[in-house]
Amino acid sequence: MKLFVYLVFMCLQNLAAQDANALLKSIDDHLLPESYEAYRKIINEEPNGSKKEFTFYTIKKGKDKIALLYLAPASEKGRATLRLGENMWLYIPNLNKPVRITSLQSITGGVFNNADILQLEYSVEYDARFAGETKDEQILELKAKSTVVAYDKLKMWITKERQYIHKVEAYSAAGVLIKTLEFKNEKNYGNGLVRPSTVETFSPFYKGYRSYLIYQKITARTFPDEVFTQNYMGKLGNLR
Amino acid sequence: MNLHFSMLIFLSVVAVSQDESEDQSTARKLEWSGNFDVKYSIFHMNQSSANYKLQFFNKSISSYLSQYRIEPYVNAEYKLQNLEVQLKTHAIFYDEKESSFDLYEAYGTYNPSASLSLQAGKRVYNWGKGYAFNPVGFVNTVKDPENPELAQAGLMSINAEFVKSFPSEVLQSFSVMMVILSGRPVISHRFDETKNTDVGLKFSFLVMDTDIDFMTYQSVTYPARYGVDFSRNIMENLEVHAELSVANKVIRYVVANGVPQSQQSDRASYLFGFRYLSEISTTVIAEYYHNGSGLSRSEFQSYHDYLVNGLSIGTSVSVQRTMENNRALFNSNTLMQEYLYVKISHPEPFDLLYVTPSMFSIYNLADKSVLLSASIQYKPTTDLEFILWPSFLVGSNNSEFGGRQAQQRIDLWMRVFF
Repeated sequence: MKLFVYLVFMCLQNLAAQDANALLKSIDDHLLPESYEAYRKIINEEPNGSKKEFTFYTIKKGKDKIALLYLAPASEKGRATLRLGENMWLYIPNLNKPVRITSLQSITGGVFNNADILQLEYSVEYDARFAGETKDEQILELKAKSTVVAYDKLKMWITKERQYIHKVEAYSAAGVLIKTLEFKNEKNYGNGLVRPSTVETFSPFYKGYRSYLIYQKITARTFPDEVFTQNYMGKLGNLR
Repeated sequence: MNLHFSMLIFLSVVAVSQDESEDQSTARKLEWSGNFDVKYSIFHMNQSSANYKLQFFNKSISSYLSQYRIEPYVNAEYKLQNLEVQLKTHAIFYDEKESSFDLYEAYGTYNPSASLSLQAGKRVYNWGKGYAFNPVGFVNTVKDPENPELAQAGLMSINAEFVKSFPSEVLQSFSVMMVILSGRPVISHRFDETKNTDVGLKFSFLVMDTDIDFMTYQSVTYPARYGVDFSRNIMENLEVHAELSVANKVIRYVVANGVPQSQQSDRASYLFGFRYLSEISTTVIAEYYHNGSGLSRSEFQSYHDYLVNGLSIGTSVSVQRTMENNRALFNSNTLMQEYLYVKISHPEPFDLLYVTPSMFSIYNLADKSVLLSASIQYKPTTDLEFILWPSFLVGSNNSEFGGRQAQQRIDLWMRVFF
């Protein structure tokens, strides 16, 4: 009898996990096309009120290929980063070669790190399970599929009505809150893509800092695989 | 000089006017960028070193010297569909009588597809995975380990590159690059002998999340060289890399019986290192470098004795000859064989906004001399940077770093990016 109850419990748990992962996949689909180009801006707000802005051109293909090119400021112009699965490289124009970097590093400073800026789909990096709900939102708990993902656990609030992300909390393996991301300002990008245009981020480790990632333009577009190679990093501007 | 700077000013004026007149709706893109550096340096000279005594023979000057210079870098990039032209210029201005203008890079690129590119002109290559040193950098401009990220002059060359990606977990991508370089000029830097044309070849693989390169350099004038390197993230915050190069019949210079002489032998150089990012955002880069063509401890001692001997003869002719040989045969940032490089940097410590301190050292394992440098970078806005950069060269007068002309140096930089 005990065995039967245990098996039923395991089956139900498995079905719930499948539903949670399906919901996570649906959220990814709502956020961005599978292959696209985008113009994004990061604004780092410092504790003294001053701001630093970075603009970049981003391209993504499939589940594991994303690259970005810095367009501004002048001191960063021409720098490029590439992510292929868990591999990341930084291209510095003066060096004229890509250098391997880690997902935890921050090129722009502020609260965003490489993992945030070069993020793949949530459903690619995490397994989901339901962790409760409020009147308007469902809460998912996400566990990293591998140890190389920047955050071990995520807690995600999703609106019931439109299935949009409202908020994400990122935790370390030890359960320490690393940062909070809030998704705001819904915008219509055309071709049926309506999503929050601003991701606001703050962290207990960066007291007084606030960073904003703003999607200015998103267009579905496909690219040859070869543009997602180290060899092409210095030529990403040709795609614009 | 005036011509050089007139050219630079002309380029800047053209830059402004072109940017304003550029029609955004056309496919043509012309973009200008660059940085303007102002540098002030104070040197504490090592007046007891042989290098100093040779350079300042029979001159009585203060042991503290200063230098003030400006260095504008102006770059242009023109794109039209699959064509591209890159221009990178650099100038140094000390005063009206002492300045220089360099064309760092000037090349055209034709990209018939995402897989294939052809380039011709003057271009910087950067083969190898090392940060401070690159034993497999057969076509690289020699890097300054004190500032490996500084822009450098390229080589006159033609290259073709082919790249292919694969939907596989094992072999993820493959590329091959061929570089053709003109040989050593024989008549007033304008004519080369056709038979002396050199060829560099590099095969690159991304295999199971590891970058691996195999390269070779074939030349009639220089020894044939073969190399391999790799780089891999073994943890989310730890990257490891290594390089190995072997060369046949390398010509190196040593001092034997008090006279510089060339030797020919097969040599291997190698490097291994790592880049680590701590939880508190401290970056550590460490590399061990074995320079196979470098001087051993005893060979360096003979070289040092040669410099001292040139001085002890005491005539301007002997000093001049010694200096010329020193520049021509022993002009290297890494004259000896065993080096350890360590760089540590940490952004905005103790909540000091916009400040990034870093320090690096190059330790000569054979003679225990060391170059120790610590810099503080202050970036109040994204396009303005101030750098305070003191360096110390520690070691006895007959050691590599301790025997250099200056024993301490402080650099103050202002950089404006545009």
